[in-house]
Amino acid sequence: MAMIEDGPGRPTESVGRPGRPAFLPSELDPTVFDEGFLRQLERLLLLMRSPVRGGLKGGRRSVKRGQSVEFADFREYAAGDDLRQLDWNVLARLEKLFVKLFVEEEDVTITILLDGSASMATGRPDKLQFAKRAAAALGYIGLASEDRVAVSVLGGRIARRRIALRGSGRVFRLLTELSAIRPADGPTDLVAAARHAAAQLSGRGVVILLSDLLDPAADRVIRELASTRSELIVLHVLSPDELDPPLEGDLRLVDSETGEGIDVTADLATIDAYKGRLAAWKEGFAQLAARRQATYVDLSTEVPLNELIFAELRRRRVVA
Amino acid sequence: MPFNSPLALLGLLFVPAVVAMYLLRLRRTPTVVPSTLLWQRLAADVEANAPWQKLKRSLLLLLQLLLVVILALLAARPFVERPAGLARDLVVIIDTSASMSATDVPPDRLSAAREAAKDALKDLPAGGKVSVIEAGRTARIVATGTSDIGRVRQAIDSIRPTVSRGDLGDALALAQQLAVQSGDAEILIATDAALAVPPTTRVDAPIRVLRVGDPKGSRNQAIVALAVRTAPSAVTRSVFISVANFDLEYATRRLEVWGDDHLIETRTIPIDAQQRADVIVDDVPADVTTIEVRLVAADDSDPDARPDLLAADDRAWAVVPPQRTRNVLVIGNGDPYLETALSYLPNSRLFGLTPAEYPAGAVRKDGTSWDLIIFEGYVPATLPATPILAIAPPTSSGLGEVGGVDKDPAIGSLGTDEPILRYVDLSTTHIAEAQHVTLPSWARAVIPGTKGAPLLYAGVRAGLPAAVMAFEPRQSDLPLQVAFPILIANLTGELLGGSAAPTAAVRPGDPVALTIPPGAIGLHVVRPDGTATDLIPGAAGGTSVTFTQSDLLGVYTATPIAAPSSSPSGSDGPSAAPSATPTPSATGSAGSSAPSGAQGVDPSQPIRFAVDLFDVDESAIAPGPPRVLEDLGKPQPSPGASGAPGAGSSAVDTRPNARDEIWIPIVFIALIALCIEWTLYHRDAVLRGWRGVTGRLGRLRRPAGSG
Repeated sequence: MAMIEDGPGRPTESVGRPGRPAFLPSELDPTVFDEGFLRQLERLLLLMRSPVRGGLKGGRRSVKRGQSVEFADFREYAAGDDLRQLDWNVLARLEKLFVKLFVEEEDVTITILLDGSASMATGRPDKLQFAKRAAAALGYIGLASEDRVAVSVLGGRIARRRIALRGSGRVFRLLTELSAIRPADGPTDLVAAARHAAAQLSGRGVVILLSDLLDPAADRVIRELASTRSELIVLHVLSPDELDPPLEGDLRLVDSETGEGIDVTADLATIDAYKGRLAAWKEGFAQLAARRQATYVDLSTEVPLNELIFAELRRRRVVA
Repeated sequence: MPFNSPLALLGLLFVPAVVAMYLLRLRRTPTVVPSTLLWQRLAADVEANAPWQKLKRSLLLLLQLLLVVILALLAARPFVERPAGLARDLVVIIDTSASMSATDVPPDRLSAAREAAKDALKDLPAGGKVSVIEAGRTARIVATGTSDIGRVRQAIDSIRPTVSRGDLGDALALAQQLAVQSGDAEILIATDAALAVPPTTRVDAPIRVLRVGDPKGSRNQAIVALAVRTAPSAVTRSVFISVANFDLEYATRRLEVWGDDHLIETRTIPIDAQQRADVIVDDVPADVTTIEVRLVAADDSDPDARPDLLAADDRAWAVVPPQRTRNVLVIGNGDPYLETALSYLPNSRLFGLTPAEYPAGAVRKDGTSWDLIIFEGYVPATLPATPILAIAPPTSSGLGEVGGVDKDPAIGSLGTDEPILRYVDLSTTHIAEAQHVTLPSWARAVIPGTKGAPLLYAGVRAGLPAAVMAFEPRQSDLPLQVAFPILIANLTGELLGGSAAPTAAVRPGDPVALTIPPGAIGLHVVRPDGTATDLIPGAAGGTSVTFTQSDLLGVYTATPIAAPSSSPSGSDGPSAAPSATPTPSATGSAGSSAPSGAQGVDPSQPIRFAVDLFDVDESAIAPGPPRVLEDLGKPQPSPGASGAPGAGSSAVDTRPNARDEIWIPIVFIALIALCIEWTLYHRDAVLRGWRGVTGRLGRLRRPAGSG
């Protein structure tokens, strides 16, 4: 059994499997990053788009005006303001009293919502597997940036929220939590689960949704999450089999969640029509996200994690 | 549309079977997918375009149904009718004479004749029957009254050329027998009409000639004669060759003379148009047994040299008879004319005895017997068991009855085919006196006389050749004429079993009588192509067989087949050797001695004979006018004209139409449908493959790290 220390220190002991690095806990899924990749992630900062309101000051911009060295704005003097903040230059020019305002930095909570529905446990490579790795990478970035990271699994009609972690020393706890996630049995109402997750959010932060959005009301999921005070990042994960189905002939397609079937004759024309439909569907999400000031990234599980973090997400300015 | 086999349309019953199989085939394979969300939306779109989608999916079914319909149609054999151009009963005659091997029409005239005959069959009316006759030296039926056109074509294709003279008259007579019972018959002759023997047989049916050959195709030179003569010295031989040019232009050819596969001499011979050139080659080595003469191009390197159109007559063979010294005994008081004539005989030794010394003095010291005994003015009481020539026998004997003397007997009408009289001219011969002899039953009259008494007769008596000359040569002016030594040579040649005359070749297809040597039970005959046949006489003790497979040109070799328990053939054992002493009572049964020629046959030597064309009529290959043959038949009946008086419509009116089956366009349509069906079925696979290739190529072209 591995020992995981809280705080910024590194774990000192781990009984791992033969051939694995000694510091990695045995509960970890063998698909998790190696030590080298973790060190690379330490250099990244999770860039926030706008200042947030929070209880802790951290290294992030906030909409609150606080006591920092970074000038933000002017305000007319009101009785009781700190006279040390009067701007004497403005008084000399305008013969009016104005005080300076400064940006207040505070920490953020990064909530990673992982779609644990049965449809995520399909595909080659497996979508849930991919989502766990992406969640681990993003969670580690947050932890390394002294942010709070919380993982919540959407399954059934609820969101199972794990305890929030803070500090880079909690990364293995994060990886352990992610490794233990299993897909839900039966159908998942993604809207209900997202609503439940939204209700669990406190304050403003960043919500990262890792999902295949294979729900008839998936657009409502985005609306529900975007209506919170957190910044929403939607990582739409699909497998290559869903992007270009290798189907041929007369088939009865069976839904992995509901068990419902539909008869399809998969010829080239049908596949082309499916792809067109898929592209329109994703475009719909992109436009909805843009309207709700959310970030939408469509991903294939074939994309290497390196490329995901250092290229795709950096390009979208999700990661610094 | 009419059908030859309408019952085959029952195959259309497979159409519902195909539909049923198609519907059953639509079993869908269950496949688990993450979600059917997008597929449901897609199905909604597909449903909107249902009619067109259904049509696309049904196209394969339609094509397969079309193929079933096409196959049923093909099996039913649809046809279109048109008036038949041939009679209901057709007799096809294919000329296979030597001239049909001419190459003026590639590959040769016979091939063109076969194709023309097969092509003409398409005008046969429905149900028409065809007989096919091969017209070579004799006529042979290769197909009889069959409506199976496939078999008829096979029969026509099986016909091969011959190297013999053709006889269309024989074929027409056979065709007449086949057509006589039909009310609507026609004879089709595929020939070059280069008739060696113009037929005269009239046929009670119309004749149509399919003439083949280039009307100007007369370019042919041929060897028309070949003979080998022994020089008087009996040491060397001379070869006489005659070459004819049947072309209308001057020609130059090269003659090659081969002896036992060794080239002896070559000559370049110019020959004027329509002329002959004779060549004599002397000093042929004495040990040569077979002479072959070849007519080849004068200059192989000349590209403008036009080849001879008929190769069959450019080669000839001659067998040189083996030399063996014959012992001839003359019993008489001496006739210088006779002895002089006998001395000219090649390979012969002459002995003489007086009648008083006979028979005691006739015993040969070496134990062999005489090859010929000539009794001149004397006949012994007991005739020897050898070939005998009796000249002016004074008394009756086994050789014939003598009844007096005829003064100034006239020579009767001489037969033109008598071999003893070959090259013998007796038109100026006068005989002063001759014995009046009666022609015995075993003999034939060679020189008939008047008053029923022949002047010379010959035959086989008691299994041995014998001849009787009724007059002494010196009792006539014959010894003073050129004919006398020739007559003596011919006469002794027949009595000795081998002719001293020039070697005579056998014509292709002619039967050849072969003598079985003593001690052998048959003959093993090898043809020029190497095939062999064993000939055994049907009757026990038979001494000759007839060989009929002489259809190839070249040299044939017959070797004796030894009896199972007897000594090997050709040995000089007592049973094989003729008796050295003529036995007074020897009868020479037919079982123990051979007919004419057997006495001279060396049992140790193989018998060879040559088969040559030597036919100037057949070598004249210029195609002739078809009318010569067509005029032998009835005029073609016309539609509407009545036949026999009192008859109703003519045979043409009642003749069924010809049927052209239209399977070719149907097969073409079927193949197109198959191609479309294959393309439609595999369209997706082809497109996927193409997209895969183009995708990979696109990724290769894209710079790494972009996107």
